[in-house]
Amino acid sequence: MIISISVGLLALLSLSIPVGIVLFLLGFGVDLFLSPFPLIRGLGNMVWSTSDNATLIAIPFFVLLGEVLVRSGVAARTYAALDRWISWLPGGLIHANVATATMFSATSGSSVATAATVATVAMPQAEKLGYDPRLFSGAIAAGGTLGIMIPPSINLIVYGFLTQTSIPQLFLAGLVPGIGLAVGFIVITAIICMIRPELGGERRVFPLAEMMSALVHLIPIILLFTVIIGTIYKGWATPTEAAAVGVAGAFVIAAIFGGVSLAMVTESILGTIKITSMIMLVVLGASFLNFTLASAGLGNELRAFLDGLGLSPLMTIFVIVGIYIVLGFFIETLSLMVVTIPIIVPLVVQMGYDPIWFGILMIVLIEMALITPPVGLNLYVVQGARKGGKMSEVMLGAIPYVIAMLLMAMALIAFPQIALYLPGAAQN
Amino acid sequence: MPDSLLVMLRRLNRLVAVLVGVMLLGCAAVVLSDILLRQAGSSFGGTDEISGYVMAIATSWGMGFALLELAHVRIDLLRSRVNSLGRAVFDLFSMVVLSATVTLIAFWCWPVLERSLSMSSRANTPLETPLWMVQLPWFAGWIWFALMAWLTFLAALVLVLRGRFEASEAAIGVFGEEEMLK
Repeated sequence: MIISISVGLLALLSLSIPVGIVLFLLGFGVDLFLSPFPLIRGLGNMVWSTSDNATLIAIPFFVLLGEVLVRSGVAARTYAALDRWISWLPGGLIHANVATATMFSATSGSSVATAATVATVAMPQAEKLGYDPRLFSGAIAAGGTLGIMIPPSINLIVYGFLTQTSIPQLFLAGLVPGIGLAVGFIVITAIICMIRPELGGERRVFPLAEMMSALVHLIPIILLFTVIIGTIYKGWATPTEAAAVGVAGAFVIAAIFGGVSLAMVTESILGTIKITSMIMLVVLGASFLNFTLASAGLGNELRAFLDGLGLSPLMTIFVIVGIYIVLGFFIETLSLMVVTIPIIVPLVVQMGYDPIWFGILMIVLIEMALITPPVGLNLYVVQGARKGGKMSEVMLGAIPYVIAMLLMAMALIAFPQIALYLPGAAQN
Repeated sequence: MPDSLLVMLRRLNRLVAVLVGVMLLGCAAVVLSDILLRQAGSSFGGTDEISGYVMAIATSWGMGFALLELAHVRIDLLRSRVNSLGRAVFDLFSMVVLSATVTLIAFWCWPVLERSLSMSSRANTPLETPLWMVQLPWFAGWIWFALMAWLTFLAALVLVLRGRFEASEAAIGVFGEEEMLK
């Protein structure tokens, strides 16, 4: 069953049928051929109960928040400010790419939105200052992936939703690995640019006065992060409600620093509906497929398969990591998550691992999938923001950051406390 | 004829999307006021329920807009390797499969609404919302999505039959990544 479903998935995807629709089709297939009773009667109820959901409304809210920040010009000023502070490192402006992506990750729940934000403001600078396009664009693609690790994160919300795990706990768990990855990106960039200075750009040192005056442009984002995360941990709001607070905050910031106009609000709304619908079609399709797979007993089959291998829990984790890396080459990331979570997570938990820890490990692997070809959405987003140049340049430039992610995945397996310390400390 | 149809569909769905967005903003406002009320020791006691309904309705009604904006993710590994006629065939096939699937979904959504209507079901919540009141617009959204899909497919089919591959690709092709950055 596993093999026929995987083959079906790849075949239908390669026909360029929309991913969400492919998942529905596979669900119909499982229903027709593998299920003892007709599941399609439950289709309407599935679609209703999946979308009638107060948790998922955080998705449009967080997307809207990001749209408002970009369209009001707050994003561009943040980038300029971080350039003043961090471009003295070997590699120059590349570090500002990573740092801006990190800050936006802290207000945005999506990797694509983060990469798009940074690429839009950074790419013109790369051309003006004559940077080597590879490392420069690779850093944006990789930095953007932090959007789903550093809270708030749409993917962690989806994970929490599907596994019944506490979303605030997941957010806390993502904080240290997220910042760790950002630091890792910066260190790896600096090392590469010390060995091969031509890959980076001029180190830029700014006068102290200019640095100080730039700080004011960092305030909006820091403030917004504090408000969103603060309301969650003060217990004033659930993560979903905090997203609504974030939307209000983004509008206030836009009004103070950028200016809110009817056109800008309309465009932000349209962008939000577009991205939300795209995500929801995939989530609905995956929910239906999961429902049919569970009814057809795929979980048991997979469990029997893994049991049959006779591996230790640790080896099983390595096998699972390998599966994610391979699937990540080919499958769009949100689909990858929603399709695998209901099958893999119960297995992992049964072996005695913490579902919160595994959620974070999975996010690192999903981040990797976002920047590994041929299907790596962030690579395409960054390439789309460039004026010409080869796609392969972005792919090459992302490789050092894939290595940083692999190291982080290994570190998480060796030291689960990297993810679990904060949630544990918060509980006591 | 197909061109004016596509322009009209796009305009209509832009309008729908703006309305859905306004509904979401309204929902955010309700959530915010509830958070503030709770600080004052009171509450509406139904914001989660309202958010859920808003999400269900926003999801079904936003789909058509996303379709016309080419936002639903497609993998074009094979598709990008063939000529414009080949791409048109990929696109038309993908559209007909999508339209049929969405029609099937809409078809099976009807029993959900029908049961709520015939049994006058109310939500098992503080608001005791009569479910048909929220399931009717939700169901209508799926019908709308199916209708949009078939109309777009027909318009694109006419374009392809007339040999206007570029126009068809603009209507039902794979989204340009730069679109996402706007």
